[in-house]
Amino acid sequence: MNRVLLQAAGLVKRYGSKSVVDGIDLEVREKEVVAVIGPNGAGKSTTLDLILGLKRRDAGSVTYWRHDYKASVGVQLQSTPFFPGLSALDNLKLFAAFHKRRLTVEEGLRLLELCGLRDAAQTEASRLSGGQQKRLAIAAALVHDPKLVFLDEPTAALDPRARREIRDLIRRLAESGASVVFTSHDMEEVGKLADRIVMIREGRSRRPERRRNCWSDMRRQIWKNCI
Amino acid sequence: MIRTVFRMMLVTSLKDKITLFYALLFPVVLMAGLGYYFDSPEYRERLLVGVIGISTLFWAMQGVSFQVYGQRNKGVYKLLKLTPFPIVSFVLALTLARTLLGLAINAVLLLIGALAFGISIPFFGAVQLLAMLVVGMFCFTCLGFLVVNFARNEGQINMLSNLLQIPMVFGSDAFYSLSAVPEWLARAGKCFPFAYFVDGLQAAAQADTRPWGLSVLIVFAFALAILVLAALTFRWDPDHRETGFRLKKSAAGGGAGG
Repeated sequence: MNRVLLQAAGLVKRYGSKSVVDGIDLEVREKEVVAVIGPNGAGKSTTLDLILGLKRRDAGSVTYWRHDYKASVGVQLQSTPFFPGLSALDNLKLFAAFHKRRLTVEEGLRLLELCGLRDAAQTEASRLSGGQQKRLAIAAALVHDPKLVFLDEPTAALDPRARREIRDLIRRLAESGASVVFTSHDMEEVGKLADRIVMIREGRSRRPERRRNCWSDMRRQIWKNCI
Repeated sequence: MIRTVFRMMLVTSLKDKITLFYALLFPVVLMAGLGYYFDSPEYRERLLVGVIGISTLFWAMQGVSFQVYGQRNKGVYKLLKLTPFPIVSFVLALTLARTLLGLAINAVLLLIGALAFGISIPFFGAVQLLAMLVVGMFCFTCLGFLVVNFARNEGQINMLSNLLQIPMVFGSDAFYSLSAVPEWLARAGKCFPFAYFVDGLQAAAQADTRPWGLSVLIVFAFALAILVLAALTFRWDPDHRETGFRLKKSAAGGGAGG
C-alpha cells in the first residue's frame, strides 16, 4: 500500500457558536486522487484551509509526511491570484521565485503546454478567459513539481469544454505520479477522476463505501436544497 | 529570487494606471494650471514642491493601499503563506519597487518644473530632496498599509485615504502659506507627517540643512510609529474573522509537520 502523505483527524472550526467544520478526517496516500465533495457551504474549502494552515483550527491534527512539506505541496485556491500587467509566463516565473526556484522560459512554456496554455504565454494573465485563468492557477501550483496538489473547486463556474480540459489536466497530473486532492460538487467529475471520495455535509465528513451511495446522498441533498 | 520578485513588482506597479494618473498626470496638470495663473518665481517653487509632495502622497499611500487590497483579496498572501518565501520579503520587494518608481515620477515632475518654470535646485539641495523623498515615501507607504488593514472594500480605502489626505494637504504649506490660514488648521496639519514632509522638501529646495534635518527626523519617527501599527494590524486573509497574523507565520493551526 502506498505511504500516507497527509493525515488530518478530527478537524474542527467554529465561528462563534456555529461549527463550520465539525470533526472531519482526511487521509491522502501517494499517487491517489481524493475528491472532497459536498453541497455549497458544506465546509469543503474551510476544510482545505484548515489542512493547509490558512485558518486556525479549533481542534484536530494535521500531519504531513515531511516537516518541510511546503516545498512539496502545490495549491490552487478558488481565487486566481495573478499580478496585473504580467503575462501568463511572467506570473509563473514569479510563483516559481516564491518557491525559491528559477523557472527558465523553456520550463515555463513546457508547463503552460501541459496546461494547454502554450499560445497564451505572452498574454496578460488578467486578459485570459475564466477557464484559462483556472488552468494558469493550476500551472502556478505546479511550478515546483509538488508531490501533493490541492485544487479548490477547479472547475467551478466554467463551461463544459473548460471543465473537460481541467479534468484532463488533473488526470495527467495523477498519471505523472502526483497525489491530488480536489473539492467539487460535480458528481460526474468526481466519478471520472477520484480514486476515493470524502463527502462533507454540514461540516461533518461521511466516507461512503461505494461511489453509488455517495451519489445518491448527493442527489438527495441537492434535491432537498432545491425544495 | 528576490530580484525576480522585485523586477515583477516593478512591472506590475508600473501598470497601476489609476495611481499613475494621480501621481503623475494630475500633479502635472495642477502645476501647469496654477503655475501659469500665479506668475511668480517664489510661488512656482512652492508649487513644484507641493506637487511633488502630493504625488508622493498619492503614489505611496493610495497606490499601496489599492495594490495590497487587490493582492490580499486575490489570495496572494494566502498562497505566499504556503511557500517558503517570507511575506515580509514580498512586502519589502513591493515597497522598494514602488519607492523606486515614485522617485522616478518625482524626477519627471522636477524636470518638468525646471523646464517649464526655470526652477533650479542646487546640487546639495537635490541630495537633500532625494533623502527627504525616500523617507516620505517610506512613511506614506506605511500609512497605505495601515489604511488597507482597516478597509473592508475599495470604497473604504478611498474614504479612509481622503479622511487622512485632505487635512494633511490643507494643513500644510504645500500650496499656500499657513500664516494665512486659521491657527487650528495649521495645528491640525502638524498632527500628520505631511506638513513636516513639505517643510523638509522646501528646506531641501533651498539647501537649508537645519530645518531639513529636523523634518527628516520627524517624518522618520512618524514612519516608524505607523510601521508598528501597520505590522500589528496586518491581515493576510480577506476574511475578517481570521485575524492575528503579524507579518510572521502563525503558530496555531499553521499546518503541521511530521
